[in-house]
Amino acid sequence: MYLILLSIFFPVLAGTCLLIKKEAADRRSLLITTGICFVLTGVLVSATLLTAYGTGFTLFYLTQSLPVCFGVDAMSVIFSAMTMIIFLCAGFFSFEYMKHETKEKRYYGYYLIVFGVLNALCFAGNLITFYLFFEMLTLTSMPLVLHNGSREAIMAGLKYLFYSLCGAYAALFGIYFIHKYSDSLSFTAGGVLTSSAMTEHAGLLLIVAFVMILGFGVKAGMFPMHAWLPAAHPVAPAPASAVLSAVIVKAGILAIVRLVYYIFGVSFLQGSWVQTAWLVLTLTTVFMGSMLAYREKILKKRLAYSTVSQLSYILFGLAVMDAGSVTGGLLHVLAHGFIKSALFLCAGAIIYTTGKTRVDELRGIGKEMPLTMWCYTIVSLGLIGIPPTGGFVSKWYLATGSLHSSIPVFSWLGPVILLVSALLTAGYLLPLTIQGFFPGADYDYEHFKKREPSRLMTIPLVILTVLSVLVGLFPTPVIDYLTQIVSTIL
Amino acid sequence: MDFIRNFPCFSIMLCLFAGIISSGVKGRTARWINIVLLTTVTILSACTLFYTLSTGESFVYVMGKFPAPWGNEIRAGVLEAGMALFFCIIMLLSLLGGQHKLIAEVEENKIFLYYVLTNLLLSSLLALVYTNDMFTAYVFVEINTISACGLIMIRQVGRTIEAAVRYMIMSLLGSGLLLLGLCMLYDLTGHLLMSNMKESIAAIVAQGEYTIPLIVAIALMTVGLCIKCALFPFHAWLPDAYGYSTVSSAAMLSSLVSKGYIFLLIKIIYRVVGFDIFNNTRIIDVLFVFGLMGMIFGSLSAIKENDIRRMIAFSSVAQIGYIYMGFGMGTQYGMVASVFHILSHAATKSLLFIAVIGLTDVSGGSRKFIELTGSAYRNKWAGVTFTVGSLSMVGVPLFSGFISKLLFAQAAVQVDGKMLPALIVLGISTILNAIYFMKTVIRIYTPVEETSYPSVTFKDMKLYAIVLVFFIILNIILGISSQPIVDMIEQGLAMFA
Repeated sequence: MYLILLSIFFPVLAGTCLLIKKEAADRRSLLITTGICFVLTGVLVSATLLTAYGTGFTLFYLTQSLPVCFGVDAMSVIFSAMTMIIFLCAGFFSFEYMKHETKEKRYYGYYLIVFGVLNALCFAGNLITFYLFFEMLTLTSMPLVLHNGSREAIMAGLKYLFYSLCGAYAALFGIYFIHKYSDSLSFTAGGVLTSSAMTEHAGLLLIVAFVMILGFGVKAGMFPMHAWLPAAHPVAPAPASAVLSAVIVKAGILAIVRLVYYIFGVSFLQGSWVQTAWLVLTLTTVFMGSMLAYREKILKKRLAYSTVSQLSYILFGLAVMDAGSVTGGLLHVLAHGFIKSALFLCAGAIIYTTGKTRVDELRGIGKEMPLTMWCYTIVSLGLIGIPPTGGFVSKWYLATGSLHSSIPVFSWLGPVILLVSALLTAGYLLPLTIQGFFPGADYDYEHFKKREPSRLMTIPLVILTVLSVLVGLFPTPVIDYLTQIVSTIL
Repeated sequence: MDFIRNFPCFSIMLCLFAGIISSGVKGRTARWINIVLLTTVTILSACTLFYTLSTGESFVYVMGKFPAPWGNEIRAGVLEAGMALFFCIIMLLSLLGGQHKLIAEVEENKIFLYYVLTNLLLSSLLALVYTNDMFTAYVFVEINTISACGLIMIRQVGRTIEAAVRYMIMSLLGSGLLLLGLCMLYDLTGHLLMSNMKESIAAIVAQGEYTIPLIVAIALMTVGLCIKCALFPFHAWLPDAYGYSTVSSAAMLSSLVSKGYIFLLIKIIYRVVGFDIFNNTRIIDVLFVFGLMGMIFGSLSAIKENDIRRMIAFSSVAQIGYIYMGFGMGTQYGMVASVFHILSHAATKSLLFIAVIGLTDVSGGSRKFIELTGSAYRNKWAGVTFTVGSLSMVGVPLFSGFISKLLFAQAAVQVDGKMLPALIVLGISTILNAIYFMKTVIRIYTPVEETSYPSVTFKDMKLYAIVLVFFIILNIILGISSQPIVDMIEQGLAMFA
């Protein structure tokens, strides 16, 4: 119990203290404090995952029927382990990156708070607790988007806030109904709705389910509420973009997993119009996201559009509701997390050393920063889905799961669109590699200078790259674990 | 402990006498009298609250020698005592928080008048809360109107005089309707004491006589009170009155004066007409619809507004709409949610008004959004407080606004016919709230390159900063430990019946 609480509130408190504290005279002491906080939080989360597995407790009662409770289950382990690894890597990366940004103290403060809030989301034991921290996540991550204070950042932050609040309230709207038609709001594999409500109010509850999926889907950048994502993610400092794009959006995924598999239950939604509509939305997003990314010229924006598309791969897997596809979706949560954070860190490293943001300015970048670009290339292959990287396995499961399911049309249409999107992914990620390593005959081969960034930047990058490859090379333990989860919730 | 039964009457008298004494002293002394008075009444109300909680029942205090059904009575239960306590705290905070503006905006030889009016206002609020007979209620409604007008007009600029006249006209129309309804009820029942009226009305309804006059009387009283507390579409007087008067007045008008009338309406519903009889009339449907419309149109007007004070004033229209939506549901849950929202809105709205004044002060006194850019950096305390208030208004968890929305929604799902419209409008209104409040928060936190306006620190405004901290604490208490408060409200409403 204390470990769970500590892993949530320690980073929040540490972040708050950092915000309140007076500006430190030198950068060093700030970095040391922050670093200690990062490591401690990492240790706390790992300890929680190792020792507190399967436990749960109620913290206090919001109103008589609404307890705020936390617990650790298998799904929490997946999400919080991923969150921790990416947060730590991106955190240490920012020690170097933030040198050329201002207001570092504020950045680390909110970074830590968001870390704590994400842990709370992973450990939330019922829907109302989840909702509390879901709102909190929006508010505390907004300063990361607003960081540089430019007009563009403010507009993006506003957009982020509106979309997120609208989404959250769509979800809250549904929670009211679920509260009425269920025994409790606690996450139970297989759903909590009472059987009488499921037969008598099926129509209403399906609408509620759809509204809630849309609402939580805002965070996961699902069409039609995706427009905030490509605006908000690129304006943040690169390591913040990495966690925004790789982890914070996963809160939306986690929300939908919890909602569909732990609140409504598969049996209620399978074969309903909600599933069909949801499939249409996810496939639209997959295709549209890739298309938009393909047309985008600014690297970080391109990566943000790619996030839109890739998140809907996961959502597609969840929407098919077949054992294979759900496993694939959850595996893609991990694979995409590692890959996308690595990609953003690469973009950050490039911006940090060269100051260039547009893809077409980056000719010959592979000669200047070979290590960074090698990482970029490897994870790009992963995102496209070329073996032996992580993306391949997850997409394999997604496609076979979809074909195995008996949903008319979508069972084959899904894999087709996934393939087309994979081609587009190659189309928008690889040109940078090609131009970077093979700048062409007119490039000045004599005068480029080695500009590899410092170890503080490259080591986190390499760790994430290696992880994304490991997920693909030795997927069996992870898949076994996921299969276990899936067998309980399906 | 039975002497505590004297406290309600004693506090009303104390306020009246303090008003009289203040009219003969200088501004500074009047302020001290006022502060001492408010503290005393707070303590007295707290004692009454604990007394009623410990005995678990309400008590009636007979004024003068005439027993019921002729005499004049005061009645105190958990809800009345709690409300009185809450009103005193909010009034104290609003006055202290707006004190520096008051000194700046009001002519020095008129400041004592401000405190005279405040004391009278408090006496009328307490009377509205505690009274057990309709005639006393009417008398104090008038006192309330007059003192509120004075509070608006005391800052003598053109707009406040206009606002006061508008307020006067609308308010008198409201009291007129209330009086008409009251006369009709007196005709029907032959009583003015609430408990006797209720018995007679129950008898009349049981016999099935005078159905139409009864409904007309109820409708007149309801509409009269609705005009006075600015339910949509009777809200036209509100933005000017709240927007241009001195800030303490605005805070008190929005969080106390209108709430006093709403509380009187609750008393009428429970103690005069009877909850079930009131709910069987179609009036609650009308209230429900007006409440819903208010929630949307109030917010829409606030979005269009370019003046931060008027924006907050319009948001009051929306919040009053929430309260009437709760009435309109016609259930106990709806009523509990409404009463909680009275508390939550009173705490939040006065906080916002007081916080805004800190922001406008560091923007050259301008209330236009463009001038307010970056003001939260110039006055950090006000900036944080305004953000807390905004989050509470939008309904973010941990603040009081979230709990009221939760209670409204829980009440709504119990009523089949009204569930969908209530929840949908609740959703829309929340999003509209988010639009204009978050827009303002972003605006005040947008850094500006160079500014000619000075920054202020804690040293320049100790009292103001402390008041802000108290406001935040109050808001968070309402947001986190809502369960005991809701229990108390339920207990109080049960005592009404």
